[in-house]
Amino acid sequence: MTRLAPDRWAAVALFAAAAATPLVTRDTFMLDSVILILLWGSLSAGWNVAGGYAGQVSLGHAAFFGIGAYAAALMSARHLNPWLGLAIGVGLSIGAGGLIGYLSNRLKGPYFALSTIAFAEVLKIVASRWRGFTAGSEGVPVPFRPGFATLGLGHVAWLYLILVLALVCYALQMYLERSRVGYQLAGVREDEDAAEALGIATRRRKVQAVVLSAALTSMGGSLWAQYVGFVDPSHVFSIDLSVRFALNSIIGGMGTALGPFLGSLLITSLETYLRATFSGIQAGFTGIYLIIYGVVLILIVRFAPEGVTGIAARWRTRRDRAHA
Amino acid sequence: MLTLESVTKRFGGLTAVRAVSLEVRRGDLLGIIGPNGAGKTTLFNVIAGYYRPEEGRVVFEGRDVTGLPAHAISRLGLTRTFQIVKPFGNLSVADNVMIGALTRLQRVRDARVEAERVIALCGLGPHAPARARALPVGLRKRLEVARALATRPRLLLLDEVMAGLNPSELAGIIDLVRRVHAEGVTLIVIEHVMAAMMRLAQRIVMLHHGEKIAEGTPAEIAHDRRVIDAYLGDEFNLAEA
Amino acid sequence: MDPARRLGPAQIDVVAQLAVSTVLLGGIYALIAVGLTLIFGIMRVVNFAHGEFLMLGMYLAFFAFTLEGLDPYVVLLISIPIFYGVGWLVYVLIMRGVIHASHNVQIFTTVGLSTALQNVALVLWTGDFRVIRPWHSSVVLRVAGTAFNLSQVVAWAVAVALTIALFAFMKWTHTGRVMRATAQDRDAATLMGIDTDRVYRLTFAIGIACVGAAGVLVSPLYAVYPQAGLQFVTLAYVVVVLGGLGDMAGAMAGSLIVAAVEVAGSYVFGAAWKEVFYFLLFIGVLVFRPAGLFGQRGAETLGA
Repeated sequence: MTRLAPDRWAAVALFAAAAATPLVTRDTFMLDSVILILLWGSLSAGWNVAGGYAGQVSLGHAAFFGIGAYAAALMSARHLNPWLGLAIGVGLSIGAGGLIGYLSNRLKGPYFALSTIAFAEVLKIVASRWRGFTAGSEGVPVPFRPGFATLGLGHVAWLYLILVLALVCYALQMYLERSRVGYQLAGVREDEDAAEALGIATRRRKVQAVVLSAALTSMGGSLWAQYVGFVDPSHVFSIDLSVRFALNSIIGGMGTALGPFLGSLLITSLETYLRATFSGIQAGFTGIYLIIYGVVLILIVRFAPEGVTGIAARWRTRRDRAHA
Repeated sequence: MLTLESVTKRFGGLTAVRAVSLEVRRGDLLGIIGPNGAGKTTLFNVIAGYYRPEEGRVVFEGRDVTGLPAHAISRLGLTRTFQIVKPFGNLSVADNVMIGALTRLQRVRDARVEAERVIALCGLGPHAPARARALPVGLRKRLEVARALATRPRLLLLDEVMAGLNPSELAGIIDLVRRVHAEGVTLIVIEHVMAAMMRLAQRIVMLHHGEKIAEGTPAEIAHDRRVIDAYLGDEFNLAEA
Repeated sequence: MDPARRLGPAQIDVVAQLAVSTVLLGGIYALIAVGLTLIFGIMRVVNFAHGEFLMLGMYLAFFAFTLEGLDPYVVLLISIPIFYGVGWLVYVLIMRGVIHASHNVQIFTTVGLSTALQNVALVLWTGDFRVIRPWHSSVVLRVAGTAFNLSQVVAWAVAVALTIALFAFMKWTHTGRVMRATAQDRDAATLMGIDTDRVYRLTFAIGIACVGAAGVLVSPLYAVYPQAGLQFVTLAYVVVVLGGLGDMAGAMAGSLIVAAVEVAGSYVFGAAWKEVFYFLLFIGVLVFRPAGLFGQRGAETLGA
């Protein structure tokens, strides 16, 4: 479980590069790309806490994302403080996370995944129909009010804010790797019965992991809503989003701190590149990169289930052995 | 140290353990034998908190632990191993044992030290960095014991740690069990390997169809009619097995 | 309208109508669910991409109708072997590699397949809602105060026929018994000389053939679009979970229950909320009786 130093260097490089971007360029496209890479990385890291570290694979994390997004958006739309919305979103997501955590103790593997999908779907439908509160399927536009308190920021400020979120998520994951809690979670992930025999309160730990994961995802959702400026229920609660959170982590390396960010770097860059290249063709484009995600997912879990960090580690071991 | 008062465990219509009473004193090495399906592992599951008995009580160090969750019982100093070993496959041997050490220790640093000590004690030193999944069965059994040992149990329940081992592995495990006992750990051992049991155990209890049908020293058990009948149904001297 | 008159015969009509709707709907859901439960029961894989094959069946019917003027019920005949082949192919190319892998790997494999298929449809055929209106979709039959259209009835009849045929196949043929044996204990099956790979191939192919056929059958009744499969797959899961994963008879019974909940729920609260009902039903069943109404307690852990 001791992470090889190279992973940490890679992370440092990634975050340093991100931090340095505004010093090199002020091009909004570049800044936007970096922001999105960090944001999706953070969201995937949030998923990773439950899915990678605790072994509770959820395909419904969009539920927490959407709760956070709506909380911030609805507050902003009413000219209230979106930070308060973020806090409310986190609170609600902790509650929802508790429910999902409870389910994770009753249901195993695919059953649990199914229940999380269902949960996100219910929220999607409720948000789409509840005209009075959420403006229904039309979505909620987020008014831009300049200032930090109102989360109306320029690209550079957003970049640093999201970088802070990313660092928090990364640090949390690192904590989970080297702390007592983290080791116990690994035990829970590997074999629950054995973990119980070693004094680990497995049920409680799972709920804790899911709740933390939900809170992080919700925060990301709130910030995303303020950044992007529009919350649409069929998007924020969609299974595509949930899959994407998982996808980044899996590609980068599930259960590693670097994984989600590395995965996000690869996937978001790919997406941004495709978007730039195919910007003319609307619906066709959206589909193409999702097809690629689907295929990549199938290939990765089959041939490289430990993701890029796993491949790199194996390559390093082989290289070291060859030199020994 | 441990008292079982008329413990009964039922699964639907099947009574797996029927009114079993037992007393284990500190420093004992108690053996539990019995044919397959006798209820031995079920008994362990009840003691360790994985099952709640329909009737009876489990009292550990003066405290009624009946129905407490398994992790709570483990933290009170009662640890069990599994008949079909359950290593944390993707983690290293060292990490496996460390998780055991973290039961009582709060700091990872301290746990690492303790883990190293236990690994050395159990002869797993050279294998410490290896992935648990890659270990052959003999070493997995050792790992199972080491991990349980790292929890600093006062009472350790070993479930068939000798099954499936070749003679040299067997000798190693027997030696390990003796050393663990010498360290002051009270042991209850389920085993089918009679020769080992006869040599290790101070007292032996025999379960059959969920009931305790015999209890005594190895010598007494070897000549107990009921024990012989239960295992073999005809004349056979167990002491020579 | 005189309120007093409303209550009398009209009330019975409503109940009868709801009952008929339930049965009609239930038959179709059964066909979808039966394939899913077969795949889970025998292969122990939760196929998250099941709905996408239904969607493909719908598109097949749509294009056959629009381009060649072929009636869906004609297309049905060729759709069964086509989707059997598709299932066969998907098994060999994708599923075979993960059948012995961990749950996570299986989950993500079928989820990846689901995402890929949905978006292939999106890219090829755009997200526009397509509709086909063969002659029978506007023929309304009225029996004893209930009204339903011919398409629904034929869809129901065919679905029931196929489901019963499948059930009979599983129960009375040698191959069926071999498949059921593998479902019970795959290791024992291998020891008995059963070629489990062939069983899985067959299972998956049959499962996909069922759902593809179901797609063709429902094409006159629902709009066709890339995500059309989603609405059905989620309720197929509710059915399958209700009936107990792997239990075919349970799936049939579960279909009726889900259909009943949907029909009654739509009637009382309006069609917009029907999906919420079966999701709530779904979560409820998963929490309180994860082995299904007919399954044994703890059966859900057998899947592990």
